[in-house]
Amino acid sequence: MKLIYGLLVVSIFFNLGTCSADELDEFSDEMAVEEVYDPLSGYNRAMTSFNDVLYENVMKPVASGYANVVHTEIRESISKFFHNLYFPMRLTNNLLQGKFKNSLEESERFVLNSTVGILGFFDPAKSKFEIDKHNEDFGQTLGFYGVGAGPHVVLPLFGPSNVRDTISMIPDSLLSPIDYVARKDDITILEYVAIKTVEKVNCTSQNIEKYEKLKADAIDLYPYQRDVYEQYRQEQIEE
Amino acid sequence: MFKKILLVCVSVLLTQTLSANEQKQLEEHFLSRIDNVISVVQNKELDKEKRNASIIKILTPMFDFELMAKLSLGKKYKKLSTEDKKRFVDLYVLRMKNSYSSKIDAYNDEKLEVKEILQAKKNRIALVTDLVSSKETLKIVYKFYKPKQAKKSKDTWLIYDVEILGVSILKTDKAQFREYLQTKSIQELMDTLAQKS
Repeated sequence: MKLIYGLLVVSIFFNLGTCSADELDEFSDEMAVEEVYDPLSGYNRAMTSFNDVLYENVMKPVASGYANVVHTEIRESISKFFHNLYFPMRLTNNLLQGKFKNSLEESERFVLNSTVGILGFFDPAKSKFEIDKHNEDFGQTLGFYGVGAGPHVVLPLFGPSNVRDTISMIPDSLLSPIDYVARKDDITILEYVAIKTVEKVNCTSQNIEKYEKLKADAIDLYPYQRDVYEQYRQEQIEE
Repeated sequence: MFKKILLVCVSVLLTQTLSANEQKQLEEHFLSRIDNVISVVQNKELDKEKRNASIIKILTPMFDFELMAKLSLGKKYKKLSTEDKKRFVDLYVLRMKNSYSSKIDAYNDEKLEVKEILQAKKNRIALVTDLVSSKETLKIVYKFYKPKQAKKSKDTWLIYDVEILGVSILKTDKAQFREYLQTKSIQELMDTLAQKS
């Protein structure tokens, strides 16, 4: 009898407990959002607005005009060509992180795409041989070895970044063939700017819709872009 | 003593089998819902508005948008008046539905593959999926929970967060709402949400 009474008490207690359990508290462990260390927030906000105005008034009209004239497939090929050029950066950073299988696959992709894929304008490595690309940059390499992101920094034209990723642009540019020929004075500064502009406009023309959708989800553009960037980079480093 | 050990072993095995079955059932149910969504997306005879309405109709039982609304405000939600609570949840739900249907409507030749099923707790399962297209692969994690009491016109397991390439929709909203509310009021936040929807 005592046992039945005891079970009854326990079951009533349990039921009461489940009914009053707060859903918000149940998820509090997972939904904890860390306070972001953001000493440059004033500058970052101003630069985000500047970039957005520049995007809406210059880059978007130029990229849309470019997209109207240049066929989608040609723009995709141009983007593949630039991606193929940055192979030394991806190879080095894959190797630095001890990702030897990925390094091998990146090398296979470079050889195939530069030859069969005609200087990288096509991607037979993916379409015919199903070899995936493995994007790695020096910021990811530093993150892999435990270097923290540091304060968030919004760069003119480039957009969201942080101290670690901004510094990492220097070693990555040393591995960029375009920057290499510019350093060797094989191309003039004007030619360098022209190449970089084509790359940027081509890239923007392929991502107009993505930026519009990202903006539509933002209540306040700066913190939204900052959090999306930092979470995305963290995921890239952890992979 | 032997019987007791045997009983413990059997119950542990039984729990694991049950949990594996539950995971399998969830995966199959989820994929069948996604198939329904894809067939609507590919039905180009419907105009965009009808297509979006059909997508929302299929998605609504899968998501606990109301819980997402509450979680996005965190502790601040508890302090709101009953009226504000209702207005905020309604606005957030509308925002989520619009956001999802517009994103899914842009799908074309993609295929969704479940890569891994993670179960951190008895009532939480995460489906790690790849959205594969001819150009790229997007990693999307759907996070499900099982409410203690089944909710009316809803699935048994409900999605409370989606992570796209590591970016949690809920965490991002929580962070931006928190920052917004540091300088502005909840009324201003709700007005902005209303303007955006």
